[in-house]
Amino acid sequence: MMLKLFNPPVSGGRLLAALLLAGLLAACDAAVPQPELGVARAKADQCVEPTGDMRRNHMQYLLTHRDETVIEGIRTTQHSLVECVNCHVAPVRADGSAVHYPDKDHFCASCHTYAGVKIDCFQCHADRPQVMDNPDYPHPLSANRYHQLASGGGTTVSLSDMLAVSGMGSGSTAGEVRP
Amino acid sequence: MSDGLQQVPQRNQVDAYRRHFMAAVTGAATLATLAPGVILREASAATRPDVTARPPEQPATSVVRWGMLIDTARLGDGGAAMVAACRREHGWGHDPRASPEQQPQWVRTVRVTDKLTQHSFTLPVMCQHCEHPPCVDVCPTGASMKRADGIVQVNKHICIGCRYCMMACPYKARSFVHEPLTDQRPHSPRGMGTVESCNLCVHRIDTGRIPACAEAAPQAVIFGDLNDPDSRISQAVQALGGTQIRADLDLNTGVRYLNI
Ligand code: HEC
Ligand code: HEC
Ligand code: HEC
Repeated sequence: MMLKLFNPPVSGGRLLAALLLAGLLAACDAAVPQPELGVARAKADQCVEPTGDMRRNHMQYLLTHRDETVIEGIRTTQHSLVECVNCHVAPVRADGSAVHYPDKDHFCASCHTYAGVKIDCFQCHADRPQVMDNPDYPHPLSANRYHQLASGGGTTVSLSDMLAVSGMGSGSTAGEVRP
Repeated sequence: MSDGLQQVPQRNQVDAYRRHFMAAVTGAATLATLAPGVILREASAATRPDVTARPPEQPATSVVRWGMLIDTARLGDGGAAMVAACRREHGWGHDPRASPEQQPQWVRTVRVTDKLTQHSFTLPVMCQHCEHPPCVDVCPTGASMKRADGIVQVNKHICIGCRYCMMACPYKARSFVHEPLTDQRPHSPRGMGTVESCNLCVHRIDTGRIPACAEAAPQAVIFGDLNDPDSRISQAVQALGGTQIRADLDLNTGVRYLNI
């Protein structure tokens, strides 16, 4: 692309400008963090709406659906927040650590951090699929306790929890427990 | 509760009550020879289910009114199993930084003792799902709401955490979340700065399942549609009544008790 700059075509300035702009955009593009789609693509070919539409309008779908659900009791799954998280978020990373919304690599945070969007949804909503049917909250995998564990803190984690971690870490989220 | 005491029946009457209740619980009249725990599940599978799933795209309607009848005499543990099931279902009661008094409590067991006679009983108390809920009257944002099918709940999306509803509730059924939480139950979002309470497991009802507490005490609890005269609960309350706690307030509660 750059080569052409030394050999301007007859139509001149306009094309040059377009080319420069394209180059600039391409350079910018490389710096934009891309959302991690591997987790979702392992489960489905496409999103609940066309991808471009989702990029622009996911908040509209979510906000409409939440009122329909809470006020009227409509329980369709297409625009359900629980389903977004189930499909898009793996409960733990490859190294077994928990993924939470405040982390930059959480699917929903990946764009929001870059775009400076702040949402409060995950103050209440689970930001990752339920790992196991542990009756106690918060279960030993939750961020605080897990990090204590990692730093040699005193929390005891039972064997079954550890198994759940290693099972989760290796590959997809097939092991998630849905209630 | 006091009017419950006035109604304490004679011993033989109690037995009659229990037979009625059993008949209602099982939906069958011929149960004398069967072990209670066994028939309950089988019979309820054979008869019409207490909750049928609505198609997901259909809103809740006022054709139904959900209610619950709790026979404290048949609970055995005063409702502890129901409380445990609720904690498990909704993940409350383990908030890491809250002091014991601050821990949210969607349902609790209350022991009532008559000072004179020393007669006492224990009952589980949760949101009573009033027809005329005081918590809804006082809410400044409309977050405290009654759904068309009679479920009283907090729309946390518009709750500002003012806690008027907690003060208005005569049953002390609501709690406030004081601290940031993580890893909530996916089907039961809970978060700092909002009020919460029993929502009759609205996520379960909408998908055709009975509330977790009712499931945990099938020998003592009937859940169902009070508007449907053929439902097990309607037949049970018609035959046996069902005491409202603080009936003097005229709130027409959806949760009713026997043997209190
Ligand atoms: C069944 C799985 C599934 C569910 C449920 C789902 N998605 Fe997706 N989503 C995908 C897949 C797969 C892609 C990638 C599509 C592609 O390759 O073009 C995607 C792409 C996206 C993108 C575009 C990312 C980008 O920039 O390329 C956004 C935003 C998104 N999803 C948000 C959501 C939200 C919000 C919800 C909940 C309302 C949701 N998704 C529910 C599978 C899912
Ligand atoms: C203060 C707590 C709280 C916050 C903050 C919150 N929600 Fe919710 N949300 C709830 C509760 C409680 C429900 C009801 C769950 C049910 O009935 O199953 C709910 C239900 C929903 C539902 C319907 C159920 C589902 O998963 O599809 C959607 C959609 C939803 N919320 C979206 C959002 C979005 C988007 C945000 C952020 C803009 C948000 N919520 C913020 C508490 C919260
Ligand atoms: C492709 C990038 C991208 C991904 C992935 C993404 N978002 Fe967004 N989201 C945005 C952008 C950009 C905005 C701001 C749009 C605006 O302000 O016009 C936004 C805004 C929102 C809003 C509205 C915030 C407000 O205050 O109006 C909600 C709610 C939201 N996103 C939820 C989610 C959830 C939940 C996920 C994960 C399932 C998610 N988003 C994933 C880019 C993304």
